[in-house]
Amino acid sequence: MTDHDPIEGTTDEELARRARAGSGRSFDELARRYKRRLFVYLRPRVGSDEDAEDLVQETFLKLYRSIDSYDPAFRFSTWLYTSAGRLAIDAYRRNAASRDKLAAESAAELPDPASDHDRDPRLSGLWAAARGLGADRFRALWLRYGEDLSIEEIAAVLGRTKLAVRILLHRARTSLMKTAGPSPARTVAPAKAADVRGARSG
Amino acid sequence: MTKEGRTTMRCFFARRAISRAEDRGTKRPRWVERHAGRCGSCGEYARFTASLKARLAGERPAFLAAVPDFPLDEAAWAASVDREIQVRAPGRRYVLRPLPAAAGAFVVLAAGLVLLLVVLREAPPSPKDRTAALAALKSFAAAPDRLPGVVTEAEFSLEKERRILEKQLSSAVEYLQARLNIKIERRDPPAKST
Repeated sequence: MTDHDPIEGTTDEELARRARAGSGRSFDELARRYKRRLFVYLRPRVGSDEDAEDLVQETFLKLYRSIDSYDPAFRFSTWLYTSAGRLAIDAYRRNAASRDKLAAESAAELPDPASDHDRDPRLSGLWAAARGLGADRFRALWLRYGEDLSIEEIAAVLGRTKLAVRILLHRARTSLMKTAGPSPARTVAPAKAADVRGARSG
Repeated sequence: MTKEGRTTMRCFFARRAISRAEDRGTKRPRWVERHAGRCGSCGEYARFTASLKARLAGERPAFLAAVPDFPLDEAAWAASVDREIQVRAPGRRYVLRPLPAAAGAFVVLAAGLVLLLVVLREAPPSPKDRTAALAALKSFAAAPDRLPGVVTEAEFSLEKERRILEKQLSSAVEYLQARLNIKIERRDPPAKST
């Protein structure tokens, strides 16, 4: 893929529309854009990195098979995160019997966000602190500030009421301020807008 | 008022209002601004909330870059769809088997017969019935003194039905009293105002 590839600047919704029309390349591009974002979103809900990777793969598989049902009038990210959330619930139910065992194993084998934070300097800052707030609060923060979804869209993705989402976000912000501290000096300096756009598309 | 190092109920509401304004993208109420100006912790919360969007957006690329890369099996998506088509293909051949087809036809025929009978039974009144009803009306009109007798007869039937219902109700109350060991008192309806 070259730097001048027109697919780079195409919106998610347009790519999804093309994928619906049969373009496998468009779907691959969508998967490339959302792979890490979906991983970050799903990771707090599952026991391990491997489970999160499997769930990302499963989500794209499901989306690929049901791409005909996508309505381009709605944002692609809303559809994606809703499907991913449902799959995560299914996976949780499937693994209910062996959940305790898996949790114990993953706790023993895998580093928790706090230890990631200590070891990897790139994981310092607000998002790393947000990961420590619990899956629900992190997901709400991610959808609101990481994906720029509206309260209505977050409510649709999480299957909650708008009021419940607002309360969740309020609590998440309050906890985040307590955890990370109010001073911007403790966090990574905001990157340029171009970097942000680049990361959103990547 | 806010005392140093303490949050009050006003702080609680002020922070909720700050969050609400942030979520709705609206301006904060003036009382909240005033309170945030006086209260250190609420002021900090207001600044933190206002800066959160830019700070999280700024840290997002680094946060995502720290996620270890992992491969996706793109071939599996297309393969799964192909498999699905192959699995579904034989099922799309519709074969009309004689026995289920005959059973289906019988059900449709029976339903049609039932429908026909119901429609016939509930047919509109015949001209004969209509004439009889008109004659009865005319007889009432010709001899109005007969009308009170008819009304009394109807009222008697209603009174009889009311008595039966009252009797059933009182026996039900007695049963409940005995069963639940409670006492249910009868409360007479309020006297009608004249």
